[in-house]
Amino acid sequence: MRPPCFIQAVKILLLLLIALGIAALPCSASIYVQCPEDTDGIDADGDGDPANDIVCMHISGGDGFAKMADGKDQYTFSFGLVPLGMPEENVVSETALKATLPAPRITLREGQELYLTMTNVGMVMRPDLFDPHSVHWHGFPNAAPIFDGLPEPSPTANMGASFTYYYKAEVPGTFFYHCHVEAAEHMQMGMIGNLWVYPRQDQQGTVGGFSKFAYNDGDGSTGYDVEYPLQLTAFDSEFHDQHIAVQPLPFADMYDDYPMINGRGYPDTINPNPITNNATAFGAAENFDAQTVNTLIEADAGDRILLRVSNVSTTHQYAITTTLGVPMKVVGRGAALLRGPTGLNTSMTVNVLNVGGGQHFDVILDTSGVSAGTYILYTTNLADLSNGSQERGGIMTEIVLN
Amino acid sequence: MSVMKYVFRPKSLWTAVAVIFLMWGTACGAIDGITGTTFNFTAKPGYIVTSDGDSILMWLYAAEGSSFGQYPGPTLIINQGDTITINLTNNLPSQAGNTSIVFPGHNATASGGVSGLLTREAPTNGSVSYQFTATEPGTYLYRSGSRPDLQVEMGLVGAIIVRPAMGDQYAYNHADTQFDREFLYLLTEMDPVIHGLVAQGKWGQIDTTDYFATNWFINGRNFPDLMADSFLPWMPTQPYNCQPRMHPGDKVLIRMIGAGVDQHPMHYHGNDFETIAIDGRMLSSGNGSGPDLAWHATTIKSAPGQTADMIWTWTGQGLGWDIYGHAPGDPMQPYEDAEDHGVPFPVVIPPRDVLTFGQFYSGSPFLGGGGDLPPGDPGLNANAGYFYMWHSHTEKELTSNDIWPGGLVTFMIVEHPDVPLP
Repeated sequence: MRPPCFIQAVKILLLLLIALGIAALPCSASIYVQCPEDTDGIDADGDGDPANDIVCMHISGGDGFAKMADGKDQYTFSFGLVPLGMPEENVVSETALKATLPAPRITLREGQELYLTMTNVGMVMRPDLFDPHSVHWHGFPNAAPIFDGLPEPSPTANMGASFTYYYKAEVPGTFFYHCHVEAAEHMQMGMIGNLWVYPRQDQQGTVGGFSKFAYNDGDGSTGYDVEYPLQLTAFDSEFHDQHIAVQPLPFADMYDDYPMINGRGYPDTINPNPITNNATAFGAAENFDAQTVNTLIEADAGDRILLRVSNVSTTHQYAITTTLGVPMKVVGRGAALLRGPTGLNTSMTVNVLNVGGGQHFDVILDTSGVSAGTYILYTTNLADLSNGSQERGGIMTEIVLN
Repeated sequence: MSVMKYVFRPKSLWTAVAVIFLMWGTACGAIDGITGTTFNFTAKPGYIVTSDGDSILMWLYAAEGSSFGQYPGPTLIINQGDTITINLTNNLPSQAGNTSIVFPGHNATASGGVSGLLTREAPTNGSVSYQFTATEPGTYLYRSGSRPDLQVEMGLVGAIIVRPAMGDQYAYNHADTQFDREFLYLLTEMDPVIHGLVAQGKWGQIDTTDYFATNWFINGRNFPDLMADSFLPWMPTQPYNCQPRMHPGDKVLIRMIGAGVDQHPMHYHGNDFETIAIDGRMLSSGNGSGPDLAWHATTIKSAPGQTADMIWTWTGQGLGWDIYGHAPGDPMQPYEDAEDHGVPFPVVIPPRDVLTFGQFYSGSPFLGGGGDLPPGDPGLNANAGYFYMWHSHTEKELTSNDIWPGGLVTFMIVEHPDVPLP
């Protein structure tokens, strides 16, 4: 696609920025990763190793591009993965314009501590902006504002600076994280990723015939063989187009028209490979594999598949179903095992699961008795089986039982 | 040169308290409303203000003795078992047609007025009367039952709270529904185009089938107006605020009402909530078992017309560091995590010249702490409380008619135990 001429002007700005702006940021003084060693001798996660309970991770907060299944390029904000140990002076130059969609996945074991450093590498394509970024762990229990990522009651990192968030993973479950700065804008632009905490029961051998569990269920009822993310992301292409064109942002008219799973619309969802964006058309030095999450669900017939479902659309709710012929068993909601306060089992068996923005569920597909073959997972909001104006797209993927 | 602010420590919090009372007055911890068994309402036009700077024509319920209608209508706080009478007079413009009130969840009878589709109605300048017995405790709404697609949009909606026989500090007749503080979250939305057409008298152009909300309200106000005090003279038609505050360990009852036409996934920062009732019925497996089918979550979809009661609490336990910044020998605060007592803060906060400070950041990560704030920082957290956003996760709704921030945003403030709360 030939970019519009306005983009050429932005491209010139970009080149100017690379020449003058970013080089002038006080980055090396303000970018630093806080990562203590685990020397307490306590095996907090119960895996038998007392020295691996501290997890350090470094992510960038910035901009990038994603390619939709119909070929449309979308300007994005998101987080990107920064390798631990990267020299601080290289972080901005190496990770600028390399935001991924969704943001890098975070996985922890219950009991572990996470030191999550987020470095704001700036929005290269929007040199007029000076937005901070933050990390909000959505659903973190008993959170403290300093690490809750809300820009109102906490400090947030300016461009060229890092902020290290600390979390003690006391509660297992399916969470997600996102930037909470100007959330209607930054979330619409894509700053959202998966965050899962594996339960302590995973360290306790076989329970009910399984060795991996969504929660500490005590009976294996949340046991699974394979797990897949099912993060329902969605873009309003007009909002993204106005953003890259440096125009006033249409908040009131915001209406998602590119519904996706894990940052891809069908048929990209059945392509297990990374999707390379078209960033050079907008002035970037190179194209980048911004969408890396495999969304083709594969399992052996008879397996229990755990879907870690969340909806992070800023405008829409989505309902999902499958053609497997077996219902979806909802075992977790809001990163909590579905049990009542006195222990009653309140799990639900449904054929359609409606997921509102900000809701997260754990769904088990028990394929015992289902023949090998290819099945479909799709949204029952049938108009959202689309990529923009292209039909047969959107929130749909295949479940392949071998 | 930097501007130094006072550093508030717990021992100097009494000074801070004087400041906070100037800011927020005394309304806190209980839901504003009117009590009794007979209520005389008038439906009439009035104007509200929105946080994007607009003034919007509404149709509002006015309680007897009030010269202004209000959005939402007066919250009726009544007792289980009481027989309630509501007399409604229709002072709306004649083009609005008849008006009426329906009481979902209650078995109401109507008398007077003229017959209508859902119930008896008050014709223009006429009256109608409704009666019901509040047999079941819980959270309910009332709203117009006449041309409701237009009349509810125009503002004819309100909340009903039925206190259980067990007492005012219980949501339902079970000990497990006890709470320390309660807050109302009555959610509505608005398509300003409709209100503009009504104001211009373009009755024939009003079309609610292409309804598209661009403004959102909790208890009739947008963020940040809803943080201001209740009953402010400059917002006479929007008397209710939504400013929850609590101490660590308090049990907070959230009474949430989907009073408009859209569904809103409400997300509660800071901790999970426990949904104990839907539509005024406890989530219970049987007689006497209490809310044993309650469910935990971080986000709940508020469906149009639906009510939900949730219990929320916060202690800061399990964080892995001492939220008060204590030294190991310091005395404990109520509900403090003994394991975290005296555990140092785990990271270094970068220097402030590379950070952006929010208006509700005290300058310290500690509850009741405080520190230097940058020049120009409004410093709106003099008590150094912990602020948690309670908001719609359809993040678009965090705006007021194209203006960020606004709409469905509130902040729960967990205050230091030494800060007195009403």
